[in-house]
Amino acid sequence: MPLRAARRVHVTTLVVGSALLLACSAKPAAPLNSYPDWSGQWARIGSLNWEPEGYEKAGPPPLTPEYAAIRDGYLAQREQGILAGDPPATCLPPGMPRVMTMSFPMEIIVTPKITYIYADWESQVRRVYTDGRDWPEYILPEFNGYSIGAWHDENGDGVYDMLSIETRGMKGPRSFDSQAVVLHENNQTVVREEMRRIDESTMEDRITTIDDALTRPWTVARRYSLEKDPIWVEYVCAEGNRHIKLGDEWYFVNEETGTLDPTRIGQPRLVPEKR
Amino acid sequence: MRIKTALLVAVTLAMASVTAHVSAHHSTAIYDSENPIELAGTVVEWQFVNPHVFIVLEVVDGATGEKKHWSLEGGNTAGLFRRGWTPNTLKAGDAIKLTVRPLRSGAAGGNYSNPRWADGAPIEPRPATG
Repeated sequence: MPLRAARRVHVTTLVVGSALLLACSAKPAAPLNSYPDWSGQWARIGSLNWEPEGYEKAGPPPLTPEYAAIRDGYLAQREQGILAGDPPATCLPPGMPRVMTMSFPMEIIVTPKITYIYADWESQVRRVYTDGRDWPEYILPEFNGYSIGAWHDENGDGVYDMLSIETRGMKGPRSFDSQAVVLHENNQTVVREEMRRIDESTMEDRITTIDDALTRPWTVARRYSLEKDPIWVEYVCAEGNRHIKLGDEWYFVNEETGTLDPTRIGQPRLVPEKR
Repeated sequence: MRIKTALLVAVTLAMASVTAHVSAHHSTAIYDSENPIELAGTVVEWQFVNPHVFIVLEVVDGATGEKKHWSLEGGNTAGLFRRGWTPNTLKAGDAIKLTVRPLRSGAAGGNYSNPRWADGAPIEPRPATG
């Protein structure tokens, strides 16, 4: 290669290289955020009513007239000893959003693509997908629904500190709590959450439920405290459940006599036929 | 001041014992909370299972001498274990007393609280640690 041509190549390389360097320094790659440490055992703070401070203080749930009447009917049945309007009484899972009352503690396992919310109650797991996916064409209904989340760095310190979640595709029957406040039977519920650690020992989940049983989106802030000395205990509801629903009748299993005892006043005892 | 603190602790513990049912994972509507009864009897079986522990208690009717087995629901294993209860806390033959919210239907079942030994002393195992 003649000297002049070689110089031209060198100059060209220098110019292109400098341009690349300039481009790189003008737009530095955004630093990757790191994920928070939310490990440990988180125990419910507040009442088991969906309103953490309880309905007596917070006021009645915002039910449509139709669902307020349904609730009144369930409460009247309860006066007779019927466990109406409380699906988990027979060991059905609480589903969303009720599982987030955390009757028993929860564990939050953060990974880049999925955050797992493990509820000791009924050994239920929620998978919150944070891999950027879109909603699937069809969601197979499940009690806990299908959850897509996104991480946010609210204080800009490079560590994610808030997980927003939207959950769709739930199945029923579900209730908000054990107070006969049930969700609409069409199961078109959408739940939106903002989960953040508000101090070293407290997690908050602001939960907004949109459901046709409600007159408006219903937002509550459930809080959980970090246990210093956690003890995990297995919970298998079917192991010793005594509450049985057959058709419209509820029974109490009497293992000693081998009968289904009545729970309702005037209800006959069921005695299995002996062969 | 020390006496007041001790009193507060005692009252708190007593309330925790009496209101253990409040943390139940489902409604307790099948039990008659307005008309609790006191039962004294002998443990036939102590079932340390979820969703609720059970005591099968043999109770002798003072008037007729008739023996009846009561199925009595308690708290959940997680809460009780944290407070020191285990599958060994009670055994068949133990004489105990319980406050019971009976089934509304009148069947021999209910939800118990305030467990005591026959002499009235509360059954208070040592709490578990993690």
